[in-house]
Amino acid sequence: MNKSRMSRRDFLKSAGALAAVSCLPVSMVELAFADSRKNFSFAHISDSHIQHISGTKFVRNWDRGLIRAVAETNLLVPKPDFVVFGGDLAQLGKKEELDHGAEMLSKLDYNKVYCVMGEHDYYLDLGDYWSKLYGPHYYSWDHKGVHFVTLNSVITYDKWTYERWPTAMQRMVEMAGLDNPNGSPFMVGEKQRDWLRKDLEKVKKDTPIVVFSHSPIQKIYKGWNFWTEDADEVQALLKPFNDVNVIYGHVHQVQYNQIGNISFQSVMATAWPWPYPETYAQAESHLPKLTVPMNRADPFFERDATGWQVINVETGRAAIKYNLYNNTNRTVAFNPKTGHPEDIAFQNPARRIPPQTHY
Amino acid sequence: MSTLLSRLLLIVAFLCVTDTYASPALGSSVPLGLPPAAEPEDNPQTPEKVALGKKLFDDKRFSLTGEVSCATCHVEEKAFTDSPLSVSEGINKLTGTRNAPTVINAVYFKTMFWDGRSPSLEDQALHPPTNPVEMGLKDHQPILDIVRSDPEYVKSFKEVFGKSGEAVTMDEVTKAIAAFERTIVAANSPFDRFFYGGENDALTPDQKRGFNLFVNKGRCVSCHVIEQTQALFTDNRFHNIGVGINDIQADVPGLAHEFLKAEATASQVDVQVLTNKKTSELGRFAVTRGFDDLGSFKTPTLRNVAVTAPYMHDGSLKTLDDVMQHYNNGGVTHEGDPVNDFLSGGIRPLGLTDKEIDDLVAFMEALTSPEFAHLAKNKAARK
Amino acid sequence: MFGKLAGAAFVLVVLMLTLGEFMVRADEFTEEDLKRWQDEYMSVVNKGRALWVSPDLGTNGVACAQCHPNAANTHPETYPKFQKQLGRVIALRDMINWCIQNPLEGKTLGLDDPRMIAIEAYIAHERKGVEMAPGKH
Repeated sequence: MNKSRMSRRDFLKSAGALAAVSCLPVSMVELAFADSRKNFSFAHISDSHIQHISGTKFVRNWDRGLIRAVAETNLLVPKPDFVVFGGDLAQLGKKEELDHGAEMLSKLDYNKVYCVMGEHDYYLDLGDYWSKLYGPHYYSWDHKGVHFVTLNSVITYDKWTYERWPTAMQRMVEMAGLDNPNGSPFMVGEKQRDWLRKDLEKVKKDTPIVVFSHSPIQKIYKGWNFWTEDADEVQALLKPFNDVNVIYGHVHQVQYNQIGNISFQSVMATAWPWPYPETYAQAESHLPKLTVPMNRADPFFERDATGWQVINVETGRAAIKYNLYNNTNRTVAFNPKTGHPEDIAFQNPARRIPPQTHY
Repeated sequence: MSTLLSRLLLIVAFLCVTDTYASPALGSSVPLGLPPAAEPEDNPQTPEKVALGKKLFDDKRFSLTGEVSCATCHVEEKAFTDSPLSVSEGINKLTGTRNAPTVINAVYFKTMFWDGRSPSLEDQALHPPTNPVEMGLKDHQPILDIVRSDPEYVKSFKEVFGKSGEAVTMDEVTKAIAAFERTIVAANSPFDRFFYGGENDALTPDQKRGFNLFVNKGRCVSCHVIEQTQALFTDNRFHNIGVGINDIQADVPGLAHEFLKAEATASQVDVQVLTNKKTSELGRFAVTRGFDDLGSFKTPTLRNVAVTAPYMHDGSLKTLDDVMQHYNNGGVTHEGDPVNDFLSGGIRPLGLTDKEIDDLVAFMEALTSPEFAHLAKNKAARK
Repeated sequence: MFGKLAGAAFVLVVLMLTLGEFMVRADEFTEEDLKRWQDEYMSVVNKGRALWVSPDLGTNGVACAQCHPNAANTHPETYPKFQKQLGRVIALRDMINWCIQNPLEGKTLGLDDPRMIAIEAYIAHERKGVEMAPGKH
């Protein structure tokens, strides 16, 4: 049951706030939201998959994606408060990849970059080198009245992680294959769920919460690990709060959903797009029905169906503007009338366009 | 019957008066390799309108100094460009920042200018007259004064539009100019005869190899479109291929911020991009303020490219060989230069050998229409 | 002469009746044959799968499976089709070659290369049951 106090005016404001971010002078934006206590936005870049070839050579295509996202993020007017990186900085968790990715991220002209663990960062050395660059695997912080939580939601069963594979690289390669039948489902795990429970004890029920995660904290398609094994348990911990937003990476496509009072929204990859699970003819999957898919990728333009995001939590609910190269940008914002996230242009079935048909 | 006869005579007269292009406006066949050109409902082609348009196109009085007309930069004898100038010269030899594109086949573009800031041929004609480095007029009034008073114009506008005096506006002027421009189409090149005409010998072996590279290893066809039944050689889209913007990379954030903060009208953009070189390099971003348009310019057609040197929006690449080096380097003119952050995803180093580059250039030389072939003999475009 | 012909025919018929089971008859195959041939086919499908996940098909370590898990989004049922970005009608293997040459930065395969057949077999196998729709964009 949605307990949000957001009004229609707030909805329009939050969607409008995003349009404002890139077009209006700073002063006009401030004036529009002078009465709001949560007047900020942040940028979200994810899934760069920096891939090492040999020596100092990296896959050019993925490098260009991250370089461009960083360059464009630096141009934002007005400037968002911070940047989040959503996971999978590297492709095989190698030091070269993490370093090369970190070097590109260091060009961000922002005070703070919060990083989320992805499985491609994790499974080589279980996040050891990543921690040297970016700190703890899970943590929380508060900013302008919103409580933020970052989870490492790509861990899996201990047996698979510690006993199954003869070498660390083998383990990494096995987890790197999205469709690998030898993979293992993602989870948050008991230890983090305990930590989360304690962390949330100090948070008031009407404080908006944003959870950053790599895996979806939902069960969408197990074959490609669009999946969090203990999604129900994690959602139960978030249930008591009025305004909860889960923002996740990993899927390399636009997805959004509403389960009870929790809004779920995915972010795009800067590297490459993935097909929607329903396009795999041999298996069943559960893409949230709400989702209006992104436009089909045109492989002849390397940045097509990739992108990065600006997220506004001004009203306690996340509104995400997807910056999609050479495509119409998409904005998915929470609609208080319907109680779930909606695409502000295309949600109505009558407004869909042919490129959104995936098969 | 007499109406038909008089119309036929008019057509003959028209053909005698104007140079013959591959396809005069009325009812004749489209040149081999092109689809029929779109004709807007509110501006149907008639031979009288076309003749009026040409007169306006050539009229130097529509400039501050009385010395610059459309034809000054779009010279018919130079395939409607001002080759070999890199950037055009307006009144008092003032230079702008952009290379004059050919009018040939401009009718197939969905937007006009290198940055697509104009939605139609009609609209495009409004801008150069009032640009300070082109024709330099403060506004369009001097043009209107002339067309409303010059006896020959008065007669033509009455005949073509049934209007006179104050009823003759820039709307009618630009419609006539656009109608003339719609007749400037050309194809039927050696490539067209080979690919659409079934003439196997129309291309040399080098050119055939070049064609193969064009659609495969060179990836050119992704933007310079060739299709099964016709070829426009443009996708009508905008891409950053690393020309010009590479030189202002450090300035991009500051310039972009300025644009994002300020609202600008279409005319203001027109003036800014032609008078400020750094702003010019922002490309379509100056028009749309969309991040993915940073440094993007419209894909030009490659038809007659061999006779319309120099190349790119700033005329900075002098020969087709220079162009090929730029693409082969993956979007930088000098190999090893840093690539700009906003480079189009389709541009990457191609790994072409010198021979392959020669073959591609040979292929591009096969895109010249027969009526302009005599210009290619200068070999101006070759290294 | 007629007698000799008849005699030869008679011998032939007897031979056929007695040796019939040892002579090849078209259009007859057993369940065992079917299974064996299916295994032959799957062996190539599996080779295709191995190529699909291999970092060595191109020169930059990128594998087909990175963008096309389980060969999703390849749409084999729509070929031949007019591929807008190439400006011409192509077959599936032309598109495979385009991917090898571009995102994988490798050398194209010959159209009759066994590896090409294997890749096509794998793609088609993962798309079993989907209706043919040649030309669909």
